[in-house]
Amino acid sequence: MSLASDVGAGATLAPAAERYRAPILARGVALVIAAGLVVAAQRLAAEPGGTRLALSLTFGALFGFVLQRSRFCFFCLWRDLLDRRDPRGALGVLTALAAGAAGYAVVFGGWLPDPSGARLPPDAHIGPVSPILALAGAAFGAGMTVSGSCISAHLYRLGEGSPTAPFALLGTALGFVLGFATWNDLYLAAISEAPVAWLPRHLGYGGTLALTLLVIGALAVPLLRLLPERETRPARVEPLRAVFVERWPAWLGGLAVGAIGTLAYLRVGPLGVTAEIGGRSRAAAASLGLLPDRLEGLDAFRGCATAVRDALLTPNGLFVGGLVLAAFAAALVAGQFRPALPGGGHVLRGLLGGLLLGWGAMTGLGCSVGTLLSGIMAGAVSGWVFAAAMLFGATATLLAGRRLRLLP
Amino acid sequence: MLSRTVLALLLATAAPVLPALANAPPAAQAPHDGALVSTEWLEKNLASPKVRIVEVSVDPGVYERGHIPGASNVSWHTDLVETVTRDIVSPEKFAALAQRLGIDRDTTVVLYGDNNNWFAAWGAWVLAQYGLVDNVKLLDGGRKKWEAEKRPLDTRAPEVAASKFPVTQAASNLRARFGDVLAVAKKERDEQILDIRSPDEFNGKIIAPAGIQELAIRAGHIPGSVNVPWGKAVNADGTLKSPAELKKLYAEAGIDGSKPIITSCRIGERSSHSWFILTRVLGYNARNYDGSWTEYGNAVGVPITNVAGTVWGGK
Repeated sequence: MSLASDVGAGATLAPAAERYRAPILARGVALVIAAGLVVAAQRLAAEPGGTRLALSLTFGALFGFVLQRSRFCFFCLWRDLLDRRDPRGALGVLTALAAGAAGYAVVFGGWLPDPSGARLPPDAHIGPVSPILALAGAAFGAGMTVSGSCISAHLYRLGEGSPTAPFALLGTALGFVLGFATWNDLYLAAISEAPVAWLPRHLGYGGTLALTLLVIGALAVPLLRLLPERETRPARVEPLRAVFVERWPAWLGGLAVGAIGTLAYLRVGPLGVTAEIGGRSRAAAASLGLLPDRLEGLDAFRGCATAVRDALLTPNGLFVGGLVLAAFAAALVAGQFRPALPGGGHVLRGLLGGLLLGWGAMTGLGCSVGTLLSGIMAGAVSGWVFAAAMLFGATATLLAGRRLRLLP
Repeated sequence: MLSRTVLALLLATAAPVLPALANAPPAAQAPHDGALVSTEWLEKNLASPKVRIVEVSVDPGVYERGHIPGASNVSWHTDLVETVTRDIVSPEKFAALAQRLGIDRDTTVVLYGDNNNWFAAWGAWVLAQYGLVDNVKLLDGGRKKWEAEKRPLDTRAPEVAASKFPVTQAASNLRARFGDVLAVAKKERDEQILDIRSPDEFNGKIIAPAGIQELAIRAGHIPGSVNVPWGKAVNADGTLKSPAELKKLYAEAGIDGSKPIITSCRIGERSSHSWFILTRVLGYNARNYDGSWTEYGNAVGVPITNVAGTVWGGK
């Protein structure tokens, strides 16, 4: 039995029909969504103290648009590299990291002129580095392979009508509850005394940026050699088509992600997509009596905070909402909204993979966005550790799954 | 423009109560002579070399993402306290902080912050113990009002020339200790305790506000204390009520300044807000009890009034 069908097919979509033009209805709906997002942001901004909420919605929508347009999906990009030796997606992620690291360094320098003391820059995602973090990263990577995407990609694919994404996100929420259940033991065993390692404290901002760019450059050189001789795109693409219909080159998506990451940190907070999912799961688990009475030390860590909030509208909730809606609108215009009825394989792989994604994101204090992207951009060692463990977990699961003929 | 018109109208309506403050200058002209400065005054005096603006907020990242131009940042839980022992910042550490902030004895210091100036008022209480009293002002309405009026913000930290603030011992007459409070509870001393927590905390229905960890083992309040929640002293826009209204508010609870007052809450930080009002706005003799309920409510064998009868660990 093939559990694969369309799961994880995102990056390998055939080029959109050459002359594709979205139906009037699809374009109309997309326009209504875009207008609705603008009006909602305006109304939020008019409320006292609503600027943060309005900005969160706006950044979320921009992030969703960029993810959908460039198909910025960690698993698909990695699989493209492994299976087809196509390095473009991986180069896009490296571009995002380089651009974001430069942007963060500029912001940090203004906010915390002396990084050598005991202080850390406010709410940057700099987490504890322990074997548990590596375990969380590996579980997250395995979850990516099983479910076909990471959490942020499932969110934008929800907007594309993916039959797997709803189950993967449900599984993620359950994974969070599992993570809360195992947190106290792991915290006492290895996390409480783990160092919160921040490179600028030792190397300064300039040194950290230089090292980060050097590492990114060293990773990029072998990838650049794999680039095809010539791009197979037409000589001239209409600008509107290039933006709204054609898939963006991964490096462009990477630059946009780096820029959004920097601007979001400057005005609202580091990028992350799991705080809301985690916070709501925590509240639900608490009301069902499934939560430990105390989660030792959890709320004192940086990362995608899951502390229960009583507000209906939270910055991260609006960010995620904007992401999904903008991805939906973008998919409609590009002809990539292809809802499908879920089969048993979608449900099973979504739930199982989601469970691993959720456990990994809870235990790692964030996902491929909150811990990996926002961490590496901030000069956090935790970001690099999570990244390495995630790729290891994804690769090992893919190879094992194929050997057992469970994965395509 | 509109906000200035509104301000003028407010001042006009407030005029009848102004004579109550016999020696207070007209608010619109020289608000800096009192304990508070208005947002309007501060914006006009941003460039004044005699004014140092200091933000004390509780939420991380608030200062960095936009503060009043020229303001320095002070972190209340590392800069203003001893992080290991439960105490206010030591004389040496305070002198270093004041020097870094460019504060001399004659500098006008304007404090402001998020959460209705709670932690800014706490900062004013710490500064006062190190002798910085009359030249320290709170921005009336705090961050909330400054932002609501859409006044300018800056993300760059100022570069301030260090001052030569000397190491001095903290005065003890602005701080109430456990023994002081216990003496009042046992009626050995004729002072008044003002508890500014919520009525539910005061009456012992709950031990801590919603979402805050219960750090005391007992519920209730110190016998003989009166309850005026801090929020009753504040208008909807975050500014303090007029001195006449404040006087009336506390008089209704029996506090009229005729006896020494001790302010208390859960950890002594919201109570600094009321301490600031009592001492600096109304001129009463008041001390802040920073041990507050987390010290008193955990002490062994002390008298407690527990109206609701809540017992920790079960009914």
